[in-house]
Amino acid sequence: MRSLALLVALAALVALPFATTGYVVYLANLLLTFTVICLGMHLVLGEAGQFSLAQAAFYGIGIYTSGLSGAAFGWPFPCSVLAAGLVSAVVGLLIGGLALRMRDIYLALATFAFGEAMQWVLMDWTSVTGGPNGLHIAPARLFGLQLLTDKQAYPAVLVIAILMLGLAILLSRSRLGRAFRAVRESEVAAMAMGVPVKSTKLIAFALSAFFAGVGGGMFALYSTYIHPDSLGFQTTILVLTMVVVGGLGSIAGAVGGAIVFGLISELLRQTPSYQEVIYGLILIVFMMFAPKGLFAFLGESFGRLRRA
Amino acid sequence: MTLSLFILFLEQGVASGLVMGSVYALLALAIVIIFKTSEAPNFAQGDMMMGAAYVALYLLVFRKAPPIVAIPLTIVVAFVVAALFRGLVLAKVAKSSGSPVNLVIATLGFSYVLRGLVRGAGVGDTPRTFPPLASTDSIMIDQASVTILDLVIFGAAILTMAGFFWMFAYTKLGRAMRAVGMNPKAAQLVGVNIGRIHMLVWGLSGVISAIAALLISPKILMTADMGSIVTLGFAAAIIGGFNSLPGAVVGGFVIGVSENLVGLFISSRAIVVAPFVAIMLVLIVRPQGLFGGRTSIKKV
Repeated sequence: MRSLALLVALAALVALPFATTGYVVYLANLLLTFTVICLGMHLVLGEAGQFSLAQAAFYGIGIYTSGLSGAAFGWPFPCSVLAAGLVSAVVGLLIGGLALRMRDIYLALATFAFGEAMQWVLMDWTSVTGGPNGLHIAPARLFGLQLLTDKQAYPAVLVIAILMLGLAILLSRSRLGRAFRAVRESEVAAMAMGVPVKSTKLIAFALSAFFAGVGGGMFALYSTYIHPDSLGFQTTILVLTMVVVGGLGSIAGAVGGAIVFGLISELLRQTPSYQEVIYGLILIVFMMFAPKGLFAFLGESFGRLRRA
Repeated sequence: MTLSLFILFLEQGVASGLVMGSVYALLALAIVIIFKTSEAPNFAQGDMMMGAAYVALYLLVFRKAPPIVAIPLTIVVAFVVAALFRGLVLAKVAKSSGSPVNLVIATLGFSYVLRGLVRGAGVGDTPRTFPPLASTDSIMIDQASVTILDLVIFGAAILTMAGFFWMFAYTKLGRAMRAVGMNPKAAQLVGVNIGRIHMLVWGLSGVISAIAALLISPKILMTADMGSIVTLGFAAAIIGGFNSLPGAVVGGFVIGVSENLVGLFISSRAIVVAPFVAIMLVLIVRPQGLFGGRTSIKKV
């Protein structure tokens, strides 16, 4: 049953560019990008229980790394996407090393401060990032092939998203994933079981930065322009709400939250006057009545129906 | 830079910094009292302030109400809305999941709703100016130039803080609030109605935000996004330790003064990033903030 559903979903994703318009494909690209960033948030917050409110900053580092390296060295896109992830991960290691001395609210606020400072750097380092004029991203290349449209970029975006999803599932099932969850439940107990708490937290932080950076690399595949304005706290909050509304702590929740909530935000764009009110009410209602996220809520409701 | 210019800049920076800092201190206080009792930062604080500012603007400008009516009415509205949000929404969120993340997301939702309402109501669509409640003539304090309005802002903020600290330290209600912050279960055992205290704390936080709104609005351009100024209140709260009330006040003044000094001595573009650099520096050196107590270790 479950594998059938997955096959259907995969078939739909593969068939998408043949059946729909450019806008839908653009939307699919964006949702897949956010899925990957949400997987990063899932790793650090859902699995390891550590706050990181700097996901937008790592996403931004990824976009700029990928865009600039593609333009400067003419790298094929798999290299520039990987570079985007790695540069973000290295920055994540450095920031994590400082920030992870704190916990809970202090960690959240320190990473928030880093995110804001990073946005300022992107805005004011004019010679490299173009500053407030934004950056035009050259089309991604592979062996002389150029990805010029959303439809051409879609296969690459889809493959990267699936690879990252696979990586997230592997990580979650590995010894490392178990260590993450042990740290989340109780640092003292994890320490007593021989889990190196500090380095485990650091790895979770760097991995989440890696995912966000790869997300940035994916964005650079189909987008031609980036402005630091779209890399602020709002974006981090969007990712956080996606993960929490989908269901904190499960991969299905992160993926589902990214897709469902991404679609909701996009649909609300059609009704600009009440967009914010509806968006806010959705968040409030979810937290009041479905605190474990959309999927746990649906599961419980179906269970109740079946029993009745 | 000559010495006399240096002293002029220093005096002006400190004077303007103390004025803005007093408003940041109020906002930080509003954030910290909620954090101390709810264990979750209120991300709607800025938009609670923004909402109160627009209520006051509506009464003063659109309804032509005299300040003597408009100001108390704004404060009452802020109290009621904030207390109801806690009593009707957050109480339910806290009951259905104890996780602070869920509380945070619910406050984010509240902030979106407030901003959307102000924008949708037809007053928040264009930038507006708030009528100053005191004269804007400048006077000189030594070499620094400040306006009468600045002095009123500073004085009103200090009075509000003093009144608040008195209430917190000496009244029965203040003791009950402190008790809930220290140990909710024990407070309940000795007969404190926790739900009511939570609502009162939120209401009080709304009142402090409303006062901050009335004070700051004449000095800035009003838009539906003016709530982002609360970022500096957060910065102040963090520097002060996030669970210390005197720390929040000191943090507010530190942020206000350093922001103005950075603007005068380095560059006006660096103002935006200065608070975040300050947060990171303070947290790296003292992870629990300047006035924060020891961070507790969760029990197994």
